[in-house]
Amino acid sequence: MATRERSMAVAAAAAAPAEKGPRSILLRRESLQGMGLLTPAVLILLGLVLYHFCYAIWLGFTDKAVGSPGRFVGLANFRYVLAWPQFSAALVNTAVFTVSAVAIKFVLGMAVAVVLNQKIRGRNFFRAFLLLPWVMPAFVVYLVWRWLYDPLSGLINYALLDLGLVASPIAFLSERSTAMASVVVAHVWRAFPFFAISFLAGMQTISQELYDSAEVDGASRWQQFRHITVPSLYHIIGVVLMLSTIWTANAFEPIYLLTGGGPSDATVVYTLLAYLMGMVNLRLGEAAAVSTLFLPLLLGLILVVTALLQRKTQ
Amino acid sequence: MAPETSARTTRRQFLASTALATGAATFSFAAPAVAQRPKLIYWCYQFLKESDDARANFAREWAKKNNVDLQITMVPLKEFLPKITAAIEAKATPDIVESNAVELRGRGQLLDVTDIYRRLEKTYGGWVGNAHKFMLEPDGRVHHILYGFQGFMLIARDDLLRDAGLKPPPATWVELLEHAKKAQKLPRVYGLGIPVSNQTDSQVWEDMMKSYGARLADDVGKRVILGDHKREVWEFLDYFTEVWKAGVLPPGVATWDNTMNNSTYQSGKAVFILNPITLSLWLEANNPELLAKTGHYTYPRGPKGLIHPVTFGSRSILKYTKVPELAKQFLWESMEPGKMDRELSVSQWGPALKAYLSFDVWKKKPFMKGLVEMSLRGEPQGWPDVFNDAWREQFTNTTISRMLQRLVIDHWSRDKAFVETLDALNRIYAKYV
Repeated sequence: MATRERSMAVAAAAAAPAEKGPRSILLRRESLQGMGLLTPAVLILLGLVLYHFCYAIWLGFTDKAVGSPGRFVGLANFRYVLAWPQFSAALVNTAVFTVSAVAIKFVLGMAVAVVLNQKIRGRNFFRAFLLLPWVMPAFVVYLVWRWLYDPLSGLINYALLDLGLVASPIAFLSERSTAMASVVVAHVWRAFPFFAISFLAGMQTISQELYDSAEVDGASRWQQFRHITVPSLYHIIGVVLMLSTIWTANAFEPIYLLTGGGPSDATVVYTLLAYLMGMVNLRLGEAAAVSTLFLPLLLGLILVVTALLQRKTQ
Repeated sequence: MAPETSARTTRRQFLASTALATGAATFSFAAPAVAQRPKLIYWCYQFLKESDDARANFAREWAKKNNVDLQITMVPLKEFLPKITAAIEAKATPDIVESNAVELRGRGQLLDVTDIYRRLEKTYGGWVGNAHKFMLEPDGRVHHILYGFQGFMLIARDDLLRDAGLKPPPATWVELLEHAKKAQKLPRVYGLGIPVSNQTDSQVWEDMMKSYGARLADDVGKRVILGDHKREVWEFLDYFTEVWKAGVLPPGVATWDNTMNNSTYQSGKAVFILNPITLSLWLEANNPELLAKTGHYTYPRGPKGLIHPVTFGSRSILKYTKVPELAKQFLWESMEPGKMDRELSVSQWGPALKAYLSFDVWKKKPFMKGLVEMSLRGEPQGWPDVFNDAWREQFTNTTISRMLQRLVIDHWSRDKAFVETLDALNRIYAKYV
């Protein structure tokens, strides 16, 4: 009996694709009903995201200024922006700033997460303390860093001069050779806790048994980290890197508050250029063109990060 | 039982009658009161606390007296443009603003206030100096009312200059450099606290360049003519290079923001700075000793004369206002001399109307005397170039300061830096032809 029933079920399953019976109609109706229920949410999402995205791109093709409706001007804004003296510097600086800051934040965040994942005294205090730079308002953080770097009254120069390490104060933010590095350091200080806390949360979900087995097999600490910790964190690493790449590439405060894009164009980034054109010069079309031109760079960075991690995960 | 029941008020009846009574009270008293109180939104320029308070307090008193529902917002200068940009785009504008009138006028956002301009001119003895040039447009219309002049002055540590055997003020830019070299005491005190950065305060170098004879654009402000002034620009660049090499500029000036020259002087680390007298008002309240050692002078001259432009504070009405007459009334009453006397005694502004010239404040505070001089003689910002949208855009882009940075930060040749600047100017001016 059981064998007969099983064979009937198999036969029914084989015949299912071709079936046009009441069950199929029911399924189709259910699926239509599901789509119907989803439609309003999808439309709202499209309205909230896509409309603004497309409008921002459209603005780049108009001469929209504050208070004027704007006329279609074709590629004029793009030509103007591409020929603008600071544009190429902004392109290079945005890439340098994003890649270097994200890389340092990743290494530092991972190192701190590993340390705080150990059973050390005061671990909970350090975990809470770690969040301090991340929760402080950005403008406070960067104004403090500006003061630290100040060649006339800054703490860093004061210490260097006092220790006899330098003969005259160093203008960290005002020399081409040190400006970008100084901005990256300040930004990393503020943003690396996000990496550390995210990685730490991930590490706490890894089973201790895996490490115990590896230790029995004679794996070193480094091998455990490389073959257990890092692979277990791939998904978290992916999300954190992607978010941080987007945030870092769009960072405005560190540059605006520390250097204003200077000295000369040594630290100018695309957000600053867009701000200058849109909010200071009141030419919204040009600002939109700057943002649109940088879209491929941002998408490229995100795609590279995603592709690398997907390959690792597979 | 029945009559007894009908005489008592049920809970439902009680609630209904209470609601009715409340509604009647609301609609009979509150509604007309709201209708009688027109709303006025005023964005006040925020810079110097005492001055800001004086203007805001007047506005509050005025609103109370005129039964106006006033909504006042203090907006720092730096935030004004982004804020008003968003407000205009969102169609949620204030009625009166105290900043960036020229930019808003250029974009057709302001209400015509020519009637107020004429009335003030007639009632208070006329406008001071070149005030009319700031307000009157070629077609004779006016869209903003000046309430004061301000501008950069040469602020100097007279004590250090005398210690070095020098007599302030230096008459020329070359003399300024010599004074700075002699009076500075490195590494504690630097000669010249002038930024060479991407902030608008750095454009004082543009004024210096013009006193060497250079011009950015032609007389109508349409065509760039800096290329015709290569010799004058070269002479100025030689002077700037000398300043840079002399070590009189403090380290870090290439990324100074608009506050750093103030803080450097306030901490006693600069002999000279170029700044409005807001600094001196701060010193008056916080460091009178340093103020006593400080002198206030007009700019030094260049080989081709004196270029000392002034800026201004003004009020304007957004064209979207629903209460134009009320807003105009506010503009008119806010210029009343008694009120302005109190306000100017704690402000950084010089007199805009001739009736203000007799105020005691100009005699009481020595550092304010220069303001009157500046108000009487000052030319509009950008002068001898025309103050228009193109000039303003090159100013906010700090084109001249960027040219200087190309020389000393990027070590470009003069030719290369000049060509880039000329190109940037041409691109900007071409947009406004």
